[in-house]
Amino acid sequence: MARIYIFKRFERFWHWAQAALIIFMLLTGFEIHGSYALLGWEKAADLHTTAAWTLIGLWLFAIFWHFTTGEWRQYIPTSKNIVAVMNYYSVGIFTGAPHPFRVSQLSKHNPLQRLAYLLVKLFINPLIWVSGLAYLYYNELAASKIAALSGISLGTIALAHTAAAFMMLAFLIGHLYLSTTGHTPLAHIKAMITGWEDVDADKPAAVPAK
Amino acid sequence: MKRNLRLKVLALILAAGATSAAQAYDGDWKRGRIYFRHVCTACHSAEVKKAIPPNERTKAEWAAYLQADKHNKGKDSVTKYFSKQYRDSIKSKNAAAAKFADVPENELLQDVKVFVNKGAKDGDAPAGCS
Amino acid sequence: MRTGIFVVALLASMLLAPAVNAASEPVPAKLLKSTSDHTKFKALQQEFNSGPEVTKACLSCHTEAAKQLHQTEHWKWEYKNPQGQLLGKKTLINNFCISPASNEGACNSCHIGYGWKDDTFDFTSEVNVDCIVCHDTTGNYRKPAGLAGNVIAKTMEFPPGSGKIVKGINLKKIAQSVAKTSRDTCGACHFYGGGGDGVKHGDMDSSLAAPEKEVDVHMDALGLNFTCATCHMTKGHQVPGSRYAPTAQDKGAAHLRGKEYKTIPTTCQACHGQAPHKKIAKLNDHTDKVACQTCHIPAFARGGVPTKMSWDWSTAGKMGPDGKPLTIKDAKGHPIYMAIKGDFVLGEDVVPDYRWFNGTVTYTLRSDKVDKNNEPVQINRYEGSASDGKSLIWPVKIMRGKQPFDPVNKTLVVPHTAGNDDTAYWTNFNWDKAIAKGMATIGEPYSGKFDFISTESTWPITHMVAPAKNALRCRDCHASGGRLEKVPDIYIPGRGSDHARWLDTAGWAIAVLTLLGVLGHGLGRVILSKRNH
Ligand code: HEC
Ligand code: HEM
Repeated sequence: MARIYIFKRFERFWHWAQAALIIFMLLTGFEIHGSYALLGWEKAADLHTTAAWTLIGLWLFAIFWHFTTGEWRQYIPTSKNIVAVMNYYSVGIFTGAPHPFRVSQLSKHNPLQRLAYLLVKLFINPLIWVSGLAYLYYNELAASKIAALSGISLGTIALAHTAAAFMMLAFLIGHLYLSTTGHTPLAHIKAMITGWEDVDADKPAAVPAK
Repeated sequence: MKRNLRLKVLALILAAGATSAAQAYDGDWKRGRIYFRHVCTACHSAEVKKAIPPNERTKAEWAAYLQADKHNKGKDSVTKYFSKQYRDSIKSKNAAAAKFADVPENELLQDVKVFVNKGAKDGDAPAGCS
Repeated sequence: MRTGIFVVALLASMLLAPAVNAASEPVPAKLLKSTSDHTKFKALQQEFNSGPEVTKACLSCHTEAAKQLHQTEHWKWEYKNPQGQLLGKKTLINNFCISPASNEGACNSCHIGYGWKDDTFDFTSEVNVDCIVCHDTTGNYRKPAGLAGNVIAKTMEFPPGSGKIVKGINLKKIAQSVAKTSRDTCGACHFYGGGGDGVKHGDMDSSLAAPEKEVDVHMDALGLNFTCATCHMTKGHQVPGSRYAPTAQDKGAAHLRGKEYKTIPTTCQACHGQAPHKKIAKLNDHTDKVACQTCHIPAFARGGVPTKMSWDWSTAGKMGPDGKPLTIKDAKGHPIYMAIKGDFVLGEDVVPDYRWFNGTVTYTLRSDKVDKNNEPVQINRYEGSASDGKSLIWPVKIMRGKQPFDPVNKTLVVPHTAGNDDTAYWTNFNWDKAIAKGMATIGEPYSGKFDFISTESTWPITHMVAPAKNALRCRDCHASGGRLEKVPDIYIPGRGSDHARWLDTAGWAIAVLTLLGVLGHGLGRVILSKRNH
């Protein structure tokens, strides 16, 4: 076994902060929605908004970081070997076959991850973000002179926001589970905490790092 | 004897002063209404579980009651509940006592007198609890 | 003897101690609020034998007052609303005492005039304007029912032949102590609308004469101590803020002294402006949809005086076992049945109903057709919708009634209820005669047939503003089954009925399926890895 350093300090901070915020916002968001009573509506709404601003701040940093470090390339989708990875998760993982993908500093995510994260970043996040801000500034929108903006009802905004929240929930469940599929159940999680991932040094990766 | 006379004169002057001072103040029934409700009735409702509205007694009964100055079946005096001391002691919890903390005792007494007289069973405007 | 005197002196000096102290440091004379002392006016230093005599004395200085009052709704009991309907107490029908028409002797004791006993009343008379009823400060001024607004200046038997002696009021003393209006003077009529304390409005009753802060933050007798006129600020005796055409939404700024304003002074905004919430700014985002009153008046009839929530005239007329008109009282001693009036339902601490309201109120008039296929008849309709751009969600009291109507002519009827005559319902309990007399008096047709019809009237809830700590909380509306559950066409976060059912179903289904999927996958891994080892 060898160890390589793949998650940098900011990346790890960003990941865990975001994870905490998203989970917290799911909890408070669905309380606002009326699904249950936990903190009390008033508190839930208040904290959800505070968390939203924190998350937006975090994202702004993250976007800046991704572009200045070039890390955004990690999410460029690739179809190469995607079938092999899908095969691995549906068959190989049960038979003890090796993972067809080898992480490296230049390629941290397997093709399936790339696709999933890209979907989150290009679709779910913006949808939550835009609909959330629209929700927050609904009064200003409604008072807007631009008909296309003032015409949007709060119901529509809430619908988009809630839909995005459901998608986020589904993603979160899958993501949590997949984090346990390393060579040991806690391997990936450890990596995200320490930054170091164990790799099989002797076995060459089935998919050469790009 | 001389001293006696002096005292007599003094007493007379003082007494005259007292009556004229009392006459100068007519009594404000609205202030009396507030004091009666917020101080007297508040305690009666809490401690006796029953308000003692003005219209429960006649004007003469009220006058006699306040004159006798025996309250709570004679255990204490009514004037006690008009005193600055009493108001000071409850003013942190009682808005009326706080607001009227500096009103002279005899004025407040006069206010309540006018109010209960007016609100008495046979008064000009019989008054219940509200 | 000696000691006796000594004691007297001692006592006296003790009694006077404060006065003596005060004398040594000069007491500032009590500052009068008014520049005039009415006890010093010659015109008022006389014995008055009637109301109009007092008014004459008032007018000798206040030369224009009666002319100003002649222009008010208070005098005319008439008001033309923007839709052109002729409203006002003179002609309107409601579902409380129905109508003053033909009952002027009793009902018009709440008119600001003397002697309106029938339609011969002279509306141009200046001396018949009642100044005192609004400007009394003694609290002793009375206009007994049955005298058409006149007063009893000399002790007499009243009603005549009843054996009841009514003491005359001291008009001289009353006239000499006049001042500005107060909650007591306005309240003398407005607290008792509908025939008794708190009956009609629900947000106005005698508890507002000297209310506690919890009942009304503004009128709080020990706090801000607002009078009615603090908000209903008059100009030339014209009182703004009538409920016939209320201001449902005020987008104006808070009024500043010295600045000229077009908006009326009676709205919350006229003092508080458009963004009054400083601590929780999000609340300001509600003011485009929700009237201030909706959150700040959590319930009405909060002062201990119940209000009538329904009134069923159809059950009136029952006699008790003693053959006398029956009265049934509730546990607190408030009548819930009276032979002269029928059954009532009373309410205290009542949670209002909520409506979209844009300020337009349309009335069912005496001439309008009503029928039993359209029950309950709306005595007045609060117009408004989520989308008209002028409406806010308002708290209202809905008064439910059952009252006589003419099923042939299909109109609501005016019964002659009060009076000492054979046709008055309250004397003879005969609807036929009472309705025939009432309708004849107003000159409208009556078929001779009557029946009872369900009606509803709507009343704005705008007084009894609670302290901020007692205002509604978010949850009261942001929930399923909350206060605004039935208010349509607006998305309220947290209100289940606003959700797209498909989204919730699909969303939770996908979440659960994903969960099941990963659990299955994980289980597979566990089992197979065990087998592989
Ligand atoms: C601290 C509480 C308290 C306050 C304040 C108070 N009372 Fe009382 N009052 C009582 C109690 C206790 C009784 C006895 C009632 C009983 O046992 O029937 C009473 C009885 C009375 C009675 C009935 C006759 C009697 O004396 O037993 C009158 C009248 C009365 N109070 C007037 C007043 C007035 C006027 C004031 C205000 C100036 C006042 N009270 C303030 C406690 C209070
Ligand atoms: C940019 C980030 C976000 C912003 C600005 C935002 C803003 C808001 C606002 C303003 C509300 C309405 C609350 C209120 O009325 O006070 C809301 C509701 C909600 N939020 Fe967010 N939010 C954000 C992110 C999230 C995230 C990450 C989730 C969950 C993953 C989420 C889930 C929800 C849900 C479920 C609701 C209830 C929607 C409804 O029932 O109408 N939000 N959000």
